[in-house]
Amino acid sequence: MGKIKKETESSSRDLRKIWKIFGPAAIYLILFVVVVLRNSNFLTGGGLGISTQVSAAILMVALSQSLVLNIGSIDLSNASLSLFGAIVLAKFLPHTGVMTPLLILVLTTLCGAVNGALVAYTKAPSFALTLGTLGIFQTAALVISKATTVYVDNNDAFLGQLNNITLFSIPLIFYIGALLAIALWAFMRYTTAGRDMTAIGLNETGAIFAGLRIKRIKILAFSLAGFMSGFAGITIISQSGSASPNGLGSDLLLPGIAAAIVGGTSILGGVTNPINVVFGSLIISMIPITSTALGVNAEAQSLIYGIAIITVAAFTLSNAKKSIVK
Amino acid sequence: MNLYRSKADIESVPGTPILSLKNIKITFGDLTAVNDVSFDIHEREVVGLIGENGAGKSTLLKILAGVYKPNSGTIELAGKSVKFRNPLDSLEAGIGIVHQEQSLFTNLSIAENLEFVGEGKNKSSKIFRFFNWRKARLSAERALEQVGSKLDPRIRVGDLPFIDRQMVEIAKAMKVSTVKVQNPVIILDEPTSLLEVHETDALEREIAKIKEIGSVIFVSHRLDEVMRVCDRIVVLRDGQLVAVKKTSEVTARDLFQLMMGHEKKSEVRSYERRHQGETPKVELRGAGKKGKFSDINLRLVAGEITAIVGTNGSGREEVCKAIYGVDSFDSGSMLVDGKEVRHWSVRTAITQGFGFVPAERKVEGIIGGLSAANNISLIFSDDIKRGLFISPKKNLASAKEWFEEIDIRPRVPSKELEKFSGGNQQKVVLAKWLKSKELSVLILDHPLRGLDPGAAETVNSLIRQAAANETAVLLLGDTMEEVLDIADQIIVMKDGQATGEFDLHVDRPTTLDLLEKMV
Repeated sequence: MGKIKKETESSSRDLRKIWKIFGPAAIYLILFVVVVLRNSNFLTGGGLGISTQVSAAILMVALSQSLVLNIGSIDLSNASLSLFGAIVLAKFLPHTGVMTPLLILVLTTLCGAVNGALVAYTKAPSFALTLGTLGIFQTAALVISKATTVYVDNNDAFLGQLNNITLFSIPLIFYIGALLAIALWAFMRYTTAGRDMTAIGLNETGAIFAGLRIKRIKILAFSLAGFMSGFAGITIISQSGSASPNGLGSDLLLPGIAAAIVGGTSILGGVTNPINVVFGSLIISMIPITSTALGVNAEAQSLIYGIAIITVAAFTLSNAKKSIVK
Repeated sequence: MNLYRSKADIESVPGTPILSLKNIKITFGDLTAVNDVSFDIHEREVVGLIGENGAGKSTLLKILAGVYKPNSGTIELAGKSVKFRNPLDSLEAGIGIVHQEQSLFTNLSIAENLEFVGEGKNKSSKIFRFFNWRKARLSAERALEQVGSKLDPRIRVGDLPFIDRQMVEIAKAMKVSTVKVQNPVIILDEPTSLLEVHETDALEREIAKIKEIGSVIFVSHRLDEVMRVCDRIVVLRDGQLVAVKKTSEVTARDLFQLMMGHEKKSEVRSYERRHQGETPKVELRGAGKKGKFSDINLRLVAGEITAIVGTNGSGREEVCKAIYGVDSFDSGSMLVDGKEVRHWSVRTAITQGFGFVPAERKVEGIIGGLSAANNISLIFSDDIKRGLFISPKKNLASAKEWFEEIDIRPRVPSKELEKFSGGNQQKVVLAKWLKSKELSVLILDHPLRGLDPGAAETVNSLIRQAAANETAVLLLGDTMEEVLDIADQIIVMKDGQATGEFDLHVDRPTTLDLLEKMV
């Protein structure tokens, strides 16, 4: 049967394959061109800079999410972990200096590992468990910040550089995100650990029978996700020089999920391409810019955002060959 | 090779057929899946449809079910040409299909499955738009009676054993197709591939029952069974009709030859014992698991094939899973190389050289979404690495060697494994283990399930080869014949207990000897 189907659909399947690889980039390009057509200043006036700057934090969170989605789980706590990381960073940066971001990455990686251990050992759904840790990280953020904005009043310059240094008007922090994405892509493709993650996401029972180290791999995936959440925290500080429980970065969870999905990550597990998640994040950040350029008024922004996500998801994710989609 | 290609060998039956296929042809792109196939089905007749995987059986059935439309050729019902636009058309014309993969809703009761959902939707069981449970139950009872089953329609389908589910499935197909039509045709697509031996008897009685009111197209890989139940047999090879034979005039050997285009290799088995007095690779001493099995004693010796026979629920699958470490024992002990093991898991089993081919291939045996190459190297991947990293090139090259060695088709190791046929998937599962240089114990749970005779032959010879290479093999077979053909030692299990043991170097048990101790 497989042989037969392949013959009939070979041409459309080739197209689908190409679309799977280049679709997200193409959509971003289209949105970009639409804005430029409406407002040519966007091209000359640093539109690329704006769009990459806005998407940098989303990218970090989306990469974190795609790692977890790939093993067939979900992490609802990653954005609040980022914010927690950002607040701790803002608090300690003035005192401990240059080493602080590294310590933050260690901290968030450990938090991720805790998430992973919970999922691996309790065998409860990650949705429920990370909903729990979301609350814990949020509370921790509130306690440490005393529910106010924490300003980095010393040593702030060098993190600010991550956002201020640009090449082709794209900020350094975005390049870092893109490099991390490439590293993750290589990790998935060229290491047994990465392949085992995909195997678990595709068929966990099969993975058990093949003797894969399920617990270890899950904890690793969540730890890497925590590591990426730490980068999101660093991005927040580099861009705003401060962190608050309600400020920049407090609403990254859903855009992060949306960017991962629009970037071709399957919510059912086993399918992701970190490089396309880069374009997924760019698309997510580009949608409000596009709708503004098209003259949509402020009240309707969320509507457009919603419709755009539905459309993009239908185009990039539609999987006609799979009859069952959750 | 092409002996039968030019002109099919057809024995026809006089009289007007109720269903006849005339010169059916269907192509998919460059591939001709079914080419110029014609045959008839008469009233109250059981017609067997056989052929290798990929011979076009499934495609032909899908044409009859209204899923595919043929490029040319006609289907005639009682002499009138018909066109099926969709599955409903075909159902209403009286063609009911019992699919290979069951289509019942396991979380609903039998009555709900027969009366309320899907194809069986029945208006009389409803008051306006509400369900009338009493009526539904009675109507379901009647439908079950028709196929000779006395099941209570209130039982949840998920709680039924497989054979009873099959009965419900047949009742459902019968029910729909007899609503409007006098002479229904029921198609049974490999109904026995998942049944245990004694259960197939029940199915055969079932077929006899259907024969009282309609006709049957019976698709199966088991030639002996086809010989028992069918009046005539249609043989397909490579999408072409090879022969239509009266059952009384052929032997299973003829059929094999017609299907494969070559003769069956007859392996003369030897009963010579090659190993004596060695420490067994694995030994169970009074091993048990509450509610599953108890007091099992077993010795797996390097180079020997040990088979466990028993019905579903005899506990033999659980014993295998516990040896492999997916399950555990809670009494008795297990010794590996003479040493008692304490912390046993799949991981430790694999490092000790154990391999396992599970029965549920799709769920347990393979990662369907990964490429065939990645499935082969899933467990032992040192040979495809360059330093710490996987080399995709080496991965493909190594897989390619296996594809050649055990003839896995198509030769595209980069393709997702779920797109290969069952037989080729099973070969990949075996390659995954055979790859290990230190495979000391190989446990096979129904390794031939759903395979056509050609693929089954390859898999069997791989099993023999493994044993010849000093692997201790533990086998749960599909049929008695398969086991008697290959095993050195047979253990019979019933209700979690070992009820018999045969050493084939000394004893020559018959199928009956084994069955006696099973039920």
